[in-house]
Amino acid sequence: MDRLKDLIDMSPAWNRRHVLSLSDFAPWEYNTVLQTANSFREVLSRRTKKVPTLQGQVVTNLFFEPSTRTRSSFELAAKRLSADTLNFAPGSSSLTKGETILDTAKTYLAMGTDLMVIRHKEAGVPHAIAAEMDRLNSGVGVLNAGDGQHEHPSQALLDLFTICALLDPANPRLELLQGKKIAIVGDILHSRVARSNLWSLTASGAEVHLAAPPTLLPKQFADYVKASDTEASSDGIDRKLFIHWELEPALQAADFVMTLRLQKERMTSHLLPSLREYYQHFGITRERLQQCQPHVKVMHPGPTNRGVEITSDIMDDPDMSLIAEQVTNGVAVRMALLYLMGGGKA
Amino acid sequence: MAIEVLQQVRVIDAVAGTDRTADVLLDDGMIQAIESQITPPEGSQTRSGQGLILGPGLVDLYSRSGEPGHEERETLDSFMAAAIAGGFTQVNVLPNTTPAIDNPATISWIREQVQARLLSSLSAMPTLPRLQFWGALTLETAGQQMVELGDLAPHVVGFADGKAITNLAMLRRMLEYLQPLQKPLMLWAYDPSLAGHGIAREGVNALKFGLPGIAVMAESAPLAAILELLQEIPVPVHFMRISTARGVELVQTAKAQGLPITASTTWLHLLLDTNDLGTYDPNLRLSPPLGNPSDRHALIQAVKSGIIDAIAVDHQAYTYEEKTVAFGEAPTGAIGLELAFPTLWHHLVEAGQLTAVELWRALSSQPLACLGKPNSALGTETSRWILFQPDYAWAVNGQTLKSRSLNTHYLNQTLQGRVVQVG
Repeated sequence: MDRLKDLIDMSPAWNRRHVLSLSDFAPWEYNTVLQTANSFREVLSRRTKKVPTLQGQVVTNLFFEPSTRTRSSFELAAKRLSADTLNFAPGSSSLTKGETILDTAKTYLAMGTDLMVIRHKEAGVPHAIAAEMDRLNSGVGVLNAGDGQHEHPSQALLDLFTICALLDPANPRLELLQGKKIAIVGDILHSRVARSNLWSLTASGAEVHLAAPPTLLPKQFADYVKASDTEASSDGIDRKLFIHWELEPALQAADFVMTLRLQKERMTSHLLPSLREYYQHFGITRERLQQCQPHVKVMHPGPTNRGVEITSDIMDDPDMSLIAEQVTNGVAVRMALLYLMGGGKA
Repeated sequence: MAIEVLQQVRVIDAVAGTDRTADVLLDDGMIQAIESQITPPEGSQTRSGQGLILGPGLVDLYSRSGEPGHEERETLDSFMAAAIAGGFTQVNVLPNTTPAIDNPATISWIREQVQARLLSSLSAMPTLPRLQFWGALTLETAGQQMVELGDLAPHVVGFADGKAITNLAMLRRMLEYLQPLQKPLMLWAYDPSLAGHGIAREGVNALKFGLPGIAVMAESAPLAAILELLQEIPVPVHFMRISTARGVELVQTAKAQGLPITASTTWLHLLLDTNDLGTYDPNLRLSPPLGNPSDRHALIQAVKSGIIDAIAVDHQAYTYEEKTVAFGEAPTGAIGLELAFPTLWHHLVEAGQLTAVELWRALSSQPLACLGKPNSALGTETSRWILFQPDYAWAVNGQTLKSRSLNTHYLNQTLQGRVVQVG
């Protein structure tokens, strides 16, 4: 894979103002995030867990869709970087009073926001706000913290970091995933986490195998990482993506298994007959994991439905589950993103 | 305006199918003669036609007026001004206004409004488009109960709800009932249950952009079902808003079988596709949604071959507040009366995908044919004409647009081509 090495070696300085999607992330950018996150992980293991990097800067969490975990993780990341944080909560907002999303963003801009972390239940809202911030020449960076079913870049980057840091804690890097097999199991159709992970994991040279019933994994996903009209991918990366409507071929000899949350509404929209049947066919159990590599690790972006997509037994097994590490690493990765995005301005 | 000779202008006659350079003799804005060479009569003015194209006035098969009900989006004044500015000398208004155009009184009221304003707000307009109305098929266009079709028939150009009619049993009865009325019926093949919560045409682009998909079968399945009804009840039906390659195939097959159908697509479905959705511009949220690139290419070919008879604008105005929301939360529709012709000309004719005659036909003589109306050749007494300047560059913004709303993907872009005169 000299091609990947070439792509990584030509790493210029970080100049990405917004992080909206991983579709156009270059391999060197992944490595910059991984290396930066690793230094912050070291900071977080110290007694004094705070650095003055973003002192005086304002990081605003614009969470139009309610969230506790991701918002807390971003808030802590910003605070560890000594930034001032503002939180926008939809319940107490003016959105119901006729204010547009752009009005809300501009209000926080007027308060001196430097970085906006945005979550919305509809795809594209971070893009719209980023475009408005650019139009106003504000210099504000926008970080997509989950937009509809579109993407959740920081979650995918913390997943990547968790895997790479496990393989080489001293020097987590994209190349470590070459030749690895990663299975992503569950409601891929509705998952913004999976959509971001598809870009990051395939960029590393890993084989990514998706598994779900056809209603949750449309066949067009096979073309997801291809350019729209040619066979090859558009950025020169040789991406390997496979789709399966059964669990077994995805799990066979897998090094990592990622499971996704299954929303209970999927039953009422005729996508699945029952949770019971889903668990029978796609639930991750200790027995099923025997087909994987002996060292297989299981991941989940949370929150989990115990006993639906994964058994409690696996979730709580520290030898198998990376779920707690994912949450811990989330802070370091989000610190890295805020640091890199804020760096240009400071 | 006195007698004028427009010299050596490019003349497109959609009915005759000709595209030539000629002199045009105008008397008070009426075409008196079109000849290769005209000696200017005594006392007449001459004007160079270089860089200009004269063709028949455009006919929009269906668009929505904000008024009555949503004057904040569009009034009849702004609607008509936008139509004329875009070269449309005839517009056929959809009935899903508030109140709906489901009875003769509403039409009389609208006509009285226009008459009254001719003395005031509309008096400054040099010319007005011919305003015609589609009558609703169902009360309040709610899809539940047939309107008094017989009473409404003399006042309307045809019947349509502008929305999908999902009750096939009711549709069957309407088709039967309409047989003696000799009015065209316009239907939109769209199944809301198959479309579900979708907001973009299903495919890899919708997956990448995280936009819930609308399957092609949300168009093709109801289209096939309606065509099956027409096998038994052969009433002339126009299918509006055909947006998929599969839809084109079904229309082609039905026409080959001799069913009395015509079909149209909209200008935006010919110009844009799911590749353009990466901007998440709420003005690209349409119903039916923009097609995938293969749909768009099939639609262009179908316009060229005549399988798709006409191109409609399907102008739908929404205010800034209504459209400045997430893509998935935006109401569907965009304005287009002033934008359709220049953009279609630039992207399809200048790019060599359609000839000038093919485009002009799809926007003038063919819409009239879909309405069962006769076509008059350019230069005859009833015909109206427009003068188009393809290299006229203009910025799309609140100052240049006559429409009251600015909900278009082309806002703040510079377009090539503008209608400079309407006769």
